Amino acid sequence: MTKNMNTSIRSLNQMNVKLQNTMKISALIILVLVMQSFAVTPAEAQIPAPKQSEPIALVGATIHTISGDVIENGTIIFEDGIITAIGSGIEIPSGTMVENVEGYHIYPGIIDSYSQMGIYEIGAVNMTLDINEQGPVNPNVMVERAFDPESRHIGIARSAGILTSITTPGGGLISGQSAAMKMDGWAWDVMTMKSGVSLLVNWPNPNNQSNYEEQLTFLRNTFADARAYMTAREAMEAGNSPRHDIDTRWQSMIPVFKGERPVLVNANEVRQIQDAITWAEEEDVRLIILGGRDAVLVTEHLKARDIPVVVTSVQGSPNRNWQGYDTVYNLPAQLSEAGVRFAISGSSSAPYAYRVPWEAGTAAAFGLDVDEAVKSITLYPAQIFGIDNYVGSLEVGKHATLMITTGNPIEYQTQIKQTYIHGRKSDMSDMQWQLYEKYREKVDQWKSERD
Amino acid sequence: MNKARYSLLNKLIAYVLGGFLLFFGLADYSLAQSQTAQTDGMKVNTPAVHAFTNATIHTAPGRILNNATLVIRNGVVEAVGTNVRIPADARVWDMDGKTIYPGFIDAHTDVGQKEPRMNIEMGNVSWNAQIRSQLTAEGEFKHEDDGSKALRELGFTTVLSMPTAGIFKGEGAVVNLNDGTVGDRVVRTGVAQGVSLVRTWGLPASYPTSQPGSIALIRQTLYDAQWYDQAHEIFNTNPRGLQRPESNAALAALTDAVNGRQPLLFEANSDEEIVRAMRFTQEFSNIRPWLRGNGHEYKMIDYLKQHNAPLILPLNFPSTPNIRTPENALGANLATLRHWYLAPENPARLAAEDISFSFTTDGLENKSHFMRNLRKAVEVGLDERTALEALTVNPANLLGISSTHGTLETGKSASFVITDGNIFNNRSRILSVWIDGHHHVINRENEMDVKGEWAVTSSTGLFDGMMNITESRPGRLSGKIMVGENEFELSSVSVQDLPRRFRADFNGEELGITGHIRLTASVSGNRLHGWAETAGNERVEWSAELSAGAEPSTPQEEREPAPRTLELADIRPAMDFGIASKPDQPEHVLVRNATIWTMGPEGIIENGDLLVRRGRVAEVGQNLSAPRNALVIDAEGKHVTPGLIDAHLHSGINGVNEVGNAIVPEVRMADVLNINNIWMYRQLAGGLTTAHVMHGSANPIGGQNVFVKMRWGSLSDDLILEDAPRTVKFALGENPKRVGTDRYPETRMGVEQIIEDRFNMARDYEARWNEWNSNRQGIPPRRDLRLDALVDILNMDIDIQSHSYRADEILMLMRLTEQFDFRVKAFHHGVEAYKVAPELVEHGAGAVVWSDWTSFKIEAYDATLYNARLLHEAGVLTSLHSDNSQIATRMNWEAAKMVRAGMDPVDALSLVTSNTARVLGIDHLVGSLEPGKHADFVIWNGDPLSTLTKAEQTWVDGRKYFDLEEDAEMRAAIERERADLIQLIMEQQND
Repeated sequence: MTKNMNTSIRSLNQMNVKLQNTMKISALIILVLVMQSFAVTPAEAQIPAPKQSEPIALVGATIHTISGDVIENGTIIFEDGIITAIGSGIEIPSGTMVENVEGYHIYPGIIDSYSQMGIYEIGAVNMTLDINEQGPVNPNVMVERAFDPESRHIGIARSAGILTSITTPGGGLISGQSAAMKMDGWAWDVMTMKSGVSLLVNWPNPNNQSNYEEQLTFLRNTFADARAYMTAREAMEAGNSPRHDIDTRWQSMIPVFKGERPVLVNANEVRQIQDAITWAEEEDVRLIILGGRDAVLVTEHLKARDIPVVVTSVQGSPNRNWQGYDTVYNLPAQLSEAGVRFAISGSSSAPYAYRVPWEAGTAAAFGLDVDEAVKSITLYPAQIFGIDNYVGSLEVGKHATLMITTGNPIEYQTQIKQTYIHGRKSDMSDMQWQLYEKYREKVDQWKSERD
Repeated sequence: MNKARYSLLNKLIAYVLGGFLLFFGLADYSLAQSQTAQTDGMKVNTPAVHAFTNATIHTAPGRILNNATLVIRNGVVEAVGTNVRIPADARVWDMDGKTIYPGFIDAHTDVGQKEPRMNIEMGNVSWNAQIRSQLTAEGEFKHEDDGSKALRELGFTTVLSMPTAGIFKGEGAVVNLNDGTVGDRVVRTGVAQGVSLVRTWGLPASYPTSQPGSIALIRQTLYDAQWYDQAHEIFNTNPRGLQRPESNAALAALTDAVNGRQPLLFEANSDEEIVRAMRFTQEFSNIRPWLRGNGHEYKMIDYLKQHNAPLILPLNFPSTPNIRTPENALGANLATLRHWYLAPENPARLAAEDISFSFTTDGLENKSHFMRNLRKAVEVGLDERTALEALTVNPANLLGISSTHGTLETGKSASFVITDGNIFNNRSRILSVWIDGHHHVINRENEMDVKGEWAVTSSTGLFDGMMNITESRPGRLSGKIMVGENEFELSSVSVQDLPRRFRADFNGEELGITGHIRLTASVSGNRLHGWAETAGNERVEWSAELSAGAEPSTPQEEREPAPRTLELADIRPAMDFGIASKPDQPEHVLVRNATIWTMGPEGIIENGDLLVRRGRVAEVGQNLSAPRNALVIDAEGKHVTPGLIDAHLHSGINGVNEVGNAIVPEVRMADVLNINNIWMYRQLAGGLTTAHVMHGSANPIGGQNVFVKMRWGSLSDDLILEDAPRTVKFALGENPKRVGTDRYPETRMGVEQIIEDRFNMARDYEARWNEWNSNRQGIPPRRDLRLDALVDILNMDIDIQSHSYRADEILMLMRLTEQFDFRVKAFHHGVEAYKVAPELVEHGAGAVVWSDWTSFKIEAYDATLYNARLLHEAGVLTSLHSDNSQIATRMNWEAAKMVRAGMDPVDALSLVTSNTARVLGIDHLVGSLEPGKHADFVIWNGDPLSTLTKAEQTWVDGRKYFDLEEDAEMRAAIERERADLIQLIMEQQND
């Protein structure tokens, strides 16, 4: 262990030299930021950060609150994981640990609003996957109960600024409940920011008409059964009927009918989107469209019902040859222009969660306002999934879930220097960096032996 | 063997000319009798002399005789003309109003070949069940339901019957479409050897599984046939001391084809398969390719004119695209819509460019659509004479039967079609065909006509009066009967032509009869003789006499052909975003005032200029002066980089993996390029100009790869990067070991051993050749393309570009090749390459890696975003690759990720430009903006490594293949053209 730590520290110092040379940032800050986070870290283990023990003030950065103005030379103070003050030239209470982050930017943590983080480890190794439960109807399964805090992908995403994951199961017709997960912690219970943030429904494929109608019949019947169950239970509870046994599946759907849990409908083709809208209206459930490739054809319909769209994988190509090469790239710009509420997510892949800001960046390259692009991976997903009282922007009272960067996170070249999750200062080392360090050591040994 | 066949053929022709060959009694519709068979029962000697008089006779396309006579005797034309004496012994057929055409010839059918023998286990067959060249159509012919009837109904009398199974299918024979044994029907054998570029799955051969594998097998087999011929000749001349060459019926049967004595009839199922078939002529200059086409030939008229191979053309037009709902219509690509509109013009467009062809019904699922499609082709511009040529003289010439078939001339086969009008008229019907003098009725004409006014007399006087019979619509009779003041509508009016019977009913209430009076009668010329059932009353006899014939019915109006209002420009590829012509290559292009990433020794030049001359970089620097007439582009504020290169892509090929053998370096991706590839346009839009298009990873030693330049709008041969090295795909780890249920290897140990084993085989093969070359005595070694490629690999004439994941397997291949004293050029994917960076440097291998792919399988779990960075830091020549068509559209962003990983921006961009070129061995051509290199460059609207940047222009060879503004115009044009085509379909469907 000691040897490992020494190795780690040595590599760190080597990296410091590199950073100084290439990043033109002050050695002091590097020492503060990097030494603190790395010095305690043995190779190949990411240690969850302890609870915030003292108030922290990050001073001197450009603060992008997202919900409000950009604050130049700003200060942000947080205590017990909660933001207590943001501003320029504000007073720092005594007993506050002050970090000078001059020259950097502070953004709220990025939200991956559609992810299999924690339930996917290695694609072709089935036993490492906990995504698809058996059968078509699983409204009761709760993703956080299977969330593996040891997943390698968590640290990799976290060090890239992905600080909240809306982890979502898949498969079947009604896949189960997603949960908003904090990307740091010893176990899933403390990592769960909010459970049951949505219920995923995979809208059937409309290309085969008879099969489509059969599937829709099944979907409608399922919802009708669940609603009948709710009625029966309510009648029982009001003393108007005999006892009705519990049905775990239908019990789990009561929050959907009460409007407390939105239905996230996976729908890309225009018929899927339209039909899901009419269905949700008839069922009187809250709807979020997931995917939304053809959403641009029905923006008025979406707006009229105030239905948000979570655009998945902006870095994709159109399904139809006649469509322009940038049809998907500029979908967010078109939704934005039309006034449809939207968020940008990745492809659900846990290992690639860190690509989410670049998906937003692509949208920005193809017409989306840069600030809107940042909102689409912070504030907008927080609002859409009902976690905006915790995260999504930097405001007093919200979680101190934020990152210190060299620039806008949607830009490839931006470096994420340090992240805080609910006030906990993250271990910025991840498995990919540790593998680099380890084999950098091999290269160095080889070079010195060769010389 | 072949001599024997040819002399048989000559004899057959002589028989035909002499009128002895085919002799069918008209009354005898049973099987024709073999000439050598003994007579069973009574000898049939019905005269076979017929004179067809008063006919319109097309003796040949464009030669029309009116009011002419055709005389045939014993299956052969005796005379044809306007002044022909009718032989005294002839049966005379009045052809007034009829037209006679030479019998149609279908140049590619499966007549008699619909159920091929799949297992041929006996005899000296090929090792590979796909090679069935020794089979002959006549030898394999199955008589039952042989498909003749359906073709006769379309006017065909003679066809090429081709074996249907395998890659080499066997020899075709021309047969007539009479019923009977094939021995009596064969017109000519050994016409052509059939070749398919697609394997037949029902045949028990594990190799090949793919199109590139099939092409490799064809190539090897042709070499084998050459060798076989040569080996046997040498052995037969002096066998002393020689190892006897094997006996192989399949190779023996191919010697004629490889020596040009017999055509190879390729089934080309797409525009690209035409190119693929014709490519064999580059390697085998003696072969004579024929093409069975596919309906897409209009897309490549320039190519066909240049290559001039006989063309057999199907008339299988696509069904109408499904646009029933707006959502369906969204799914209709321009390529589909255009082909629907243009396919009927295919023959006319070829004819307009003087490309001759023969028609075939092949490819039509429903043969009866042939005539409809033929007429459609004429309606949209095919000249009737050309159409007739394609049905008669062209196939006759092609199939070598023009001395007996194709025209109606004295001495030729009495094979012809009789119609009731111009065959190209939609309302014309084929009445009969005569095949070698044998009569087949197709649509019988009624011989009696009851239309007109009849004076009716009944024995009781019950219904004396007038009866009027009319044809209410074609084939449907109606009528009235007038008795005194009463007029009765007739029902159930019908006739039976051959029994000469008439039937009708009417309600006799007014005549005091309750119920129907039912008439029945015999027709005898102008008289009816019959009786009537009068609803339970007495039966009445009646008769009638025709008092006035019916007015000749006016022919119905021809349906107006749908207007051909759309003008669709020729584009290539013939799909969405295809272009009308190759972009211009200006003599000089000067790009000014840009930030130029030269990716060469000059680094980044701010306010830089790039001068291009005739497709090559001429100069890079500042303040360059513009040559006269140079195209000057002001790129102030823009960045210019070399065109991006993708080191590992599988776009635009038909068939990625040949899984039929673990070791397949004879397979070549260059054989299966496909220009109908929308990804190429999208990749251009992202600044990609060159790609290393690779074989898949199913094999420890896979196929040879190909370098493609993104010359959108070119034919596939023109996509290939000239002067590029040859490379081969190797694959280690999970993929090659998990392919087959029982294919060796199944472990990384086996992967290593089979590679070593083949390296040893290759060294032995090389030694064998060296020995033979030193004395040239005896039989030369058989040329083995697989071992040839392996020898080239061992001698580093083919570079190894090896798929790999884990460090151990990377190390394994380095050590193994070192054992054989050569080197691996580069490891691809190399998810764990960073773990063996020093070893890679020492071996001299490059690394071509993903930016960040990870965790999709166990061997990808130790991936790191810092892979390229660490490799680069260690001194490994490193590049990125996409291995994915979509990612290949944005390789600059893949490089940008490496800046995130801590690399210097120029180093990062080198991973998709200069380093990529170096690791692939194409840095003498592309990868940097240095004088003499290809003028492949991209103009970006900002820093190419920024998220916010996109490509504005992409140039390849000094030609602009992508332009953001032109792209917008093209989209608008595509929308318009799609809308026009969709509207047209709706109009036609609403008609």
